Amino acid sequence: MAEFLDLEAQDGVRMPWNVFPGTKQESTQCVVPVSAIYTPLKTFPNMPVLPYPPLRCRTCRSILNPFCIVDYVAKIWICPFCFQRNHFPPHYASMSEDNLPAELFAQYTTIEYETPTEKADIPPVFLFVIDTCIIEEELGYLKNALSQAIDLLPDNSLVGFITFGTYVHVHELGFGSIPKTHVFKGSKEISKDQILEQMNFFAKRPRQSPGVIAGVRDGLSAESIARFLVPASECEFALNSVLEELQKDPWPVSADQRATRCTSTALSVAASLLGACVPGSGARIMAFIGGPSTEGPGAIVSKNLSEPIRSHKDLDKDSAPYYNKAVKFYEGLSKQLVTQGHVLDLFACALDQVGVAELKVAVERTGGLVVLAESFGHSVFKDSLKHVFQSSDYDLGLSFNGIFEVSCSKDIKVQGILGPCASLEKKGPLCSETVVGQGHTSAWKMCGLDKATSLCLVFEIVKKETPDSIGPSASNQFYLQFLTYYQHNNGQMRLRATTLARRWIAGSGSIQELIAGFDQEAAAVVMARLVSFKMESEAEFDPIRWLDRSLIRLCSRFGDFQKDSPSSFSLSPRFSIFPQFMFHLRRSQFVQVFNNSPDETAYFRMILNRENVANSVVMIQPSLISYSFHSGPEPVLLDVAAVSADRILLLDAYFTVVIFHGATIAQWRNAGYQNQKEHEVFAQLLQAPRDDVDAICKERFPVPRLVICDQHGSQARFLLAKLNPSATYNSSSAPPGGDIIFTDDVSFEVFLDHLQRLAVQQ
Amino acid sequence: LDSKALPRPLDGDVEPKSFVEKYPLNCHPRYLRLTTSGIPNSQSLLSRWHLPLGAVVHPLAEAPDGEEVPIVNFGSMGIIRCRRCRTYVNPYVTFTDGGRKWSCNICSLLNDVPGEYFAYLDANGRRTDLDQRPELSRGSVEFVAPTEYMVRPPMPPLYFFLIDVSVSAVRSGMLEIVAKTIRSCLDELPGFPRTQIGFLTFDSTLHFYNMKSSLTQPQMMVVSDLEDIFVPLPDDLLVNLSESRNVVDAFLDSLPSMFLDNVNVESAFGPALKAAFMVMNQLGGKLLIFQSTLPSLGIGRLRLRGDDHRVYGTDKENALRIPEDTFYKQMAADLSKYQIGVNVYAFSDKYTDIASLGTLAKYTGGQVNYYPSFNSTVHGERLRFELARDLTRETAWEAVMRIRCGKGGRVTNYHGHFMLRSTDLLALPAVDCDKAFAMQLSLEETLLTTQTVYFQVALLYTSSSGERRIRVHTAAAPVVADLGEMYRQADTGAIVSVLTRLAIEKTLTHKLEDARHSVQLRIVKSLREYRNLHTVQHRLGGRMIYPESLQLLPLYGLALWKSTPLRGGFADVQLDERCAAGFTMMTLPVKRLMKLLYPRLIRIDEYLEKGSTKIKDFKNFSKMVPLSTESLDPRGLYIYDDGFRFIIWFGRNLSSAIAFNILGVDLSGFPDPSQVLLCERDNEMSRKLMEILERFRDMDPSFYQLPQELVAMLTGYYKYTGKSC
Ligand SMILES: [Zn+2]
Ligand SMILES: [Zn+2]
Repeated sequence: MAEFLDLEAQDGVRMPWNVFPGTKQESTQCVVPVSAIYTPLKTFPNMPVLPYPPLRCRTCRSILNPFCIVDYVAKIWICPFCFQRNHFPPHYASMSEDNLPAELFAQYTTIEYETPTEKADIPPVFLFVIDTCIIEEELGYLKNALSQAIDLLPDNSLVGFITFGTYVHVHELGFGSIPKTHVFKGSKEISKDQILEQMNFFAKRPRQSPGVIAGVRDGLSAESIARFLVPASECEFALNSVLEELQKDPWPVSADQRATRCTSTALSVAASLLGACVPGSGARIMAFIGGPSTEGPGAIVSKNLSEPIRSHKDLDKDSAPYYNKAVKFYEGLSKQLVTQGHVLDLFACALDQVGVAELKVAVERTGGLVVLAESFGHSVFKDSLKHVFQSSDYDLGLSFNGIFEVSCSKDIKVQGILGPCASLEKKGPLCSETVVGQGHTSAWKMCGLDKATSLCLVFEIVKKETPDSIGPSASNQFYLQFLTYYQHNNGQMRLRATTLARRWIAGSGSIQELIAGFDQEAAAVVMARLVSFKMESEAEFDPIRWLDRSLIRLCSRFGDFQKDSPSSFSLSPRFSIFPQFMFHLRRSQFVQVFNNSPDETAYFRMILNRENVANSVVMIQPSLISYSFHSGPEPVLLDVAAVSADRILLLDAYFTVVIFHGATIAQWRNAGYQNQKEHEVFAQLLQAPRDDVDAICKERFPVPRLVICDQHGSQARFLLAKLNPSATYNSSSAPPGGDIIFTDDVSFEVFLDHLQRLAVQQ
Repeated sequence: LDSKALPRPLDGDVEPKSFVEKYPLNCHPRYLRLTTSGIPNSQSLLSRWHLPLGAVVHPLAEAPDGEEVPIVNFGSMGIIRCRRCRTYVNPYVTFTDGGRKWSCNICSLLNDVPGEYFAYLDANGRRTDLDQRPELSRGSVEFVAPTEYMVRPPMPPLYFFLIDVSVSAVRSGMLEIVAKTIRSCLDELPGFPRTQIGFLTFDSTLHFYNMKSSLTQPQMMVVSDLEDIFVPLPDDLLVNLSESRNVVDAFLDSLPSMFLDNVNVESAFGPALKAAFMVMNQLGGKLLIFQSTLPSLGIGRLRLRGDDHRVYGTDKENALRIPEDTFYKQMAADLSKYQIGVNVYAFSDKYTDIASLGTLAKYTGGQVNYYPSFNSTVHGERLRFELARDLTRETAWEAVMRIRCGKGGRVTNYHGHFMLRSTDLLALPAVDCDKAFAMQLSLEETLLTTQTVYFQVALLYTSSSGERRIRVHTAAAPVVADLGEMYRQADTGAIVSVLTRLAIEKTLTHKLEDARHSVQLRIVKSLREYRNLHTVQHRLGGRMIYPESLQLLPLYGLALWKSTPLRGGFADVQLDERCAAGFTMMTLPVKRLMKLLYPRLIRIDEYLEKGSTKIKDFKNFSKMVPLSTESLDPRGLYIYDDGFRFIIWFGRNLSSAIAFNILGVDLSGFPDPSQVLLCERDNEMSRKLMEILERFRDMDPSFYQLPQELVAMLTGYYKYTGKSC
C-alpha cells in the first residue's frame, strides 16, 4: 500500500493496476479496467517550476521528460511515445550528463513550466447569480455570507452580479449614480447576440459583422464591459449597497403555488454576459439557488404545489415530465460555457430539491464547485463558501481555463475520463471506440480545476498477441504523459507535465505480478465512479448485480482456492479488503439511490467524481474512530459491534461527520461532569473528537455536515445506517451496552460467505 | 376703404352682456357660451343662419376670488335629479303642489320632492329656503357625489412621467429643467398626502425606477426587449409621494447626471408608452410625456414625412396631419379607457411627428406643448413655468362630461380633446382648468314650441382631495323665431371658437385651402344672409353690413385664415408647428383663442421714459393699437403679446438709450439682437419693462409668454406674417 501512496506523492496518480495486463484479453479478465486517478494540480512542495517553455516532440508533441533517451553528444532526444529523434535547440548546448536540465531529472516526472510572457490578460472573474425567491430569513443569511465572501475576493478579480426570481436582473455595478439593473424575462430564452444588442454594448461604435463578436478583441469597448464586471477593489461599496437593499422577489405567490423562479434563464444570461465580455478568460458563475426552478427552459417542476418534484422513482419510470427538457437545456449551457472557458459553481441551499440533478451536467463539465445544504444559514454552506475564498494552507487553489491532454504508448488507448471535464473532441489514434465518460478525444477542457480535482482516466489495452517471452525491460514499458495547461491563480499560464512509465506483463505467471501491482483502494474508487456512470447512462442497469458479478469474477481470477470448496478460499493481502469496499459500495448513497433525492444523488456523485482516492474511499466506506478512557483514539471496524455505552464514536462518512456518545457518556455529559475540575479527563475525552472534526472540516470542501448525537437518540440513525449490521433484530441480542440495527440488509459476514461460495464455482 | 375706420377688438374678447342680464340664474359665461343665445325655433330658420349653432364649454374655468363654485352635499339624501332625464336639480326647476313636486326644466316631468328636501313655497311659488340652497339659486354648483357615483374608490392624484433621455434630451438641457421643475413642484402637487408619482425614462431601452419608501435611493431597472415589453416590478414603480419623498428627491437630484454621458440617439417611445400604460392602468392618472426624438424603435416607430412639398395641394396633403400608425389611436383609446390623461411635451429640433404624438393628448383630454429646437437657456423659463402650471393647477380626475339640452335640441357634435363614450358622454381621464370644449346643436323637431331652451353641463369627476363630485352648469336661452334676433344675440367669441375647431378638424381630412375656404364661405354666406335681411329696407347697394354683434367676425375670420394651423402651404409653417398649434387651439377657451388670433400690440417707450415707477400708472401711458404696420412708429418700442409669446419690437429710430438700457448692448454695433437674452438689468427702464411683462403674464397664467423672438428691426419693419389684419 505504501508504495502506491509514494507514487501518488510523486505524481498525483493512483492506478488500480500498477503492472499492466499486457494484452486485450488479459485486461478483460482483470475485471477492473486499467485506469488512473490523476490529480493534475496536486500540490508538490518540491516540484520545480521552469521559467521557459517545454521542448516538444516534432511528431507527437509530447514533452521532453526523464524517460527520453538522450544522446548528449549529438544533442538528440528520442521520444518514448513515437520514437522520433528530436534535436535539442541551441540553448540546451551546455547540457551534459552531469549538467541536466530539470525536466530530465529522474525524480521530476512531474514538473511545471511557467513562461513569464504567458499571462492571462484579464484577471479572474466572479459572476454571482443569486436567487431572490427565498424567504426573508434565508435572504438575510445569504446576504451575510455573500458580504463576507466579497471581502475575501482577490483585489484584482472582476466581479459581476445577477439576481433572479420571476425575472433576471443583471446589475450594472459600474453605473455610478444609483443602483441599476438590466431586466430580462424569465420565461424567455435569450441569446448572446440579444444580450449584446439589448445591453447596449454597441452604443458607442458600430456593430461588427455578425459572428464571433465578443470581448475587447472582437470590438467591444472596455468601458461597455466595465459596466458589468468591476474590479473587486473598486466595487465594494456598490456591491454592499446592492446587497443591503436586495429584496425578496416581489411578485406575489399564492399559497398553492411555487414561486416563479427562472434559474435556467438567469444562468443562461450569466453565461452569455461572460461570453460577451470575457470569452476565453478565466471566469466563474457562482450560482446561489434556494429552490426549484419553475420557469424557463430549465424548469424542473410546475408552479402548482400539488405536483411534487421528481423522485428517483419518477425518473426510473420516466414520469418526470420536465427532466429531459431541463437536462437538455443544461447540456446546451455546458457546451456554451465550455466553449467560452467558464465555470459554473452551484450553491444549492433549500429543504426542497432545486434541480441539482438537472444542473449536474453543466457544473461537472465545467469543473464547477457544488455545495448542497438545507439552508443558507447552515454551516455546510457558510463555511464552504468561506473556504472558496480564503487564502490559507487549505485554500482550494482555484484555477481556470485548463486543457488536459494525454499521450500514451501505441498499445494503449483512452476510453474516456470520468470526472469534471469536457471532451474537446480531439480525435486521433489514441481514442478508443468504446467510450466511458468524456471520450472520443485525447484532449479535455477543464474550465475550472483546483488542487483537489481528480480525473479518472479509463484505458484500453489493445495489444492482441500474447508474446511468447517477455523481452528486455526496455520494451515492456508503457508510457503515459499527462499535460495540464491552465491559468494559475496568480494569473500566469502554466503547463504541468506528468510522465509515467508502467511495466506490462502477459502470459502465464503474470498473475502474481498483477496482484502485486493491485491498488485496491484505487480499484474501489474506479468501480464507484464506473457504477455511478453506468447507473446514469445505461438504461435498465442493475448496479448490485454488476458489482457482485465483477467482484465474483475478480475473486475467481485472483483468489486462491480449490474448485467448489468455499472454505479453501483466500485472497492475497493486496485484494483482501476489496470485497469489503464493494460491500459498502453496494450499501452506499452512490448505489442505494432510493434513500435520497435525485438532487442529493447528483451531489454525492459530483463530489465523488472530483475527489482523490483517499477521500473517495471515505465516501464509500466511512471511517470509524473510537474514543474511550481505556485507550487513545483508535480506528475500529465499521460495525455495530463498535457501539458501546462508555465510548464516543467519530464516524467520518465524508459528507456527514457524526459524533456519537455512548449512553453512559451522554448521561455524564448531561450531568455536567465535564465542567467539574476533578473530571477534567472526561472533558478532554469529550473534546478529543471535536478537535478531530475541526481538523477534518478545515481541509474538506464542501465542509461536511456535523451531527452530534447520543446512543438511542433520534439522530443516532446517521451512524447506525453506515454500520455493518452484524447484530440485527434477527440475530442474537446485542452485547451489553451495545446496539442492534433494525435492518434486513445482510451483514458483511453473510456477504462474504456468498462471495466465497460463488467465486469457487467459476 | 379706410382701414382706420375698421372695427378692431382693441379690448380683446368681450362676453355678451345682454344675455347675462336677461338670465341672471344662468351660469357665468366663463363656463358656457352659446354661439347665439337666440335659439332658432325651426330647422328652416337654422339653415339660414349659416354659422355654427353651438356652445363653448369650459367646465373648470378658474373663477376670481369670491366667485368660486359652491359645493353642495346632500349627504344620505342623495342628489336630487329628474327621474326620467337625470337632469340635476337647478335654478330653473319649478316647485308645485305646495312644494311636494318639482317639474324638470329639461323634460317637464313632475318629480316627487324627497321628504328631507321638502320646503314650503312662498306666495310667489318660490321655496322659502332658496337663499340657503345654492343649487336652486346659482347657475353653477358642485355636488358631492355619494358612492353610487363610483365604480371604484376615488383614485388619488397620480402623476407619471415618461421622459426621453436620449442624447438630444440631455444636450438641449431639457432633462435637467424637467427634473428640477418636477422637484420644485413636489410640495404643491394636488392631493397631499394621497398623491402618487412614478417615472419611466427611455432611449433605445426602457428604464423603470423602484421608488419603494424603504429604500435609501431609487433602483433603476432597464428593460430592453422591445418586442415583448413587461413591467419588472409588481409594485413600487408608482409610489405614494409623501411616503417615498426621500427616494423621489434622490431620484430627481440624480436624474440629470445619470444620463450626462448618454450618447444614445434612439427612441423606443412606443414600447415606453406601452410600459407606462402597464404601470398606470391599475389606477389611471396623468401621464406627462417628454419627447425629444422621433420615435425610432419598436412598436409605434415613426418615419420622417412631410418634407415633400409636392404633396401640398393634393388630396394626400391632409395625411401628414394625422397619425400614420394606428398604434397611436389605439393607445389613446386604451389610455382613455383606463383613466389616463396624456400631456405631450415635445422638444425636438427635427421632425418628431407631432401629428402622431398629439393624438395621445387629443383623445385623453390632454394638451401638446411644443418647444421646437428647445434650448434651455432660451426656453428654459417657459418650460419651467408651463410644467409647473401643469403640475399644480386644479385637475379633475377620472372625469366624464355630459351636456343635456332641453326638448327639441340635441348636442350632436363635440370638438376638442376627449374620447366620446356612447353618443353623448365625453370621457376625460384628467381634465384641468385650461381646457374648453366646443359642441354643436341640432334641432330634433322642426319647430320648437317652448319659450326657452335649457342646457346643463355636468362633469362627474374625482377631486384631488379624493371626493367624487359633479360640477353642474345650467343655462337658459330664449327660443326665437326671427333670424335677425339670432344675429343680434350672436357671440363672436363663441362663433370663432367653434369655427376654429371646425376648420382645424377640416385640415385633418382636407387640404389647408379647403379648410380656409370653408371658414370664408360660412362667414360670407351668413353676412349675405344678413344683408338680404336688411337690403330691402335700407337699399344699401354694394356696401357690406353686419350686425353689431358680428362686426369683428370678418377680422377674426381673416386672423383664423392666417393662423398657424391654417396658414399658407408647405413653406409657411413647419409641419410639426402647424400640428402643435392645431392641438393647442382645439382646447383653448374663448378669451385665449381670441387673443391668439388677434394679439395685443402696445407701445411702451413713452412709459419707459416718462412714466412713474408705479406699474398701475402704466395704463395711462399705453394703449392697445391696431395690429397693422401703420401702427408702428419707427421711433417706438412695442410689445406684441399673443398669450404664448412676447415680441418686443424696436423701431429703427428708437432712442439708443432705451435700447441700451433694455438690452445692455449698443444695437448699432450688434447685428442680431434676437441673440440677446432679455433679462432685468440694473436700470429703471429695464425694471419697468420686466414689470410690464410680468403683469401681462399674470393676466393669464395658463401659458408663459417668453420674449423669445426679441425681434428688433433696425432697418425695416417687422412683417407680421399672417398676424396683421
Ligand atoms: Zn513523439
Ligand atoms: Zn327631466
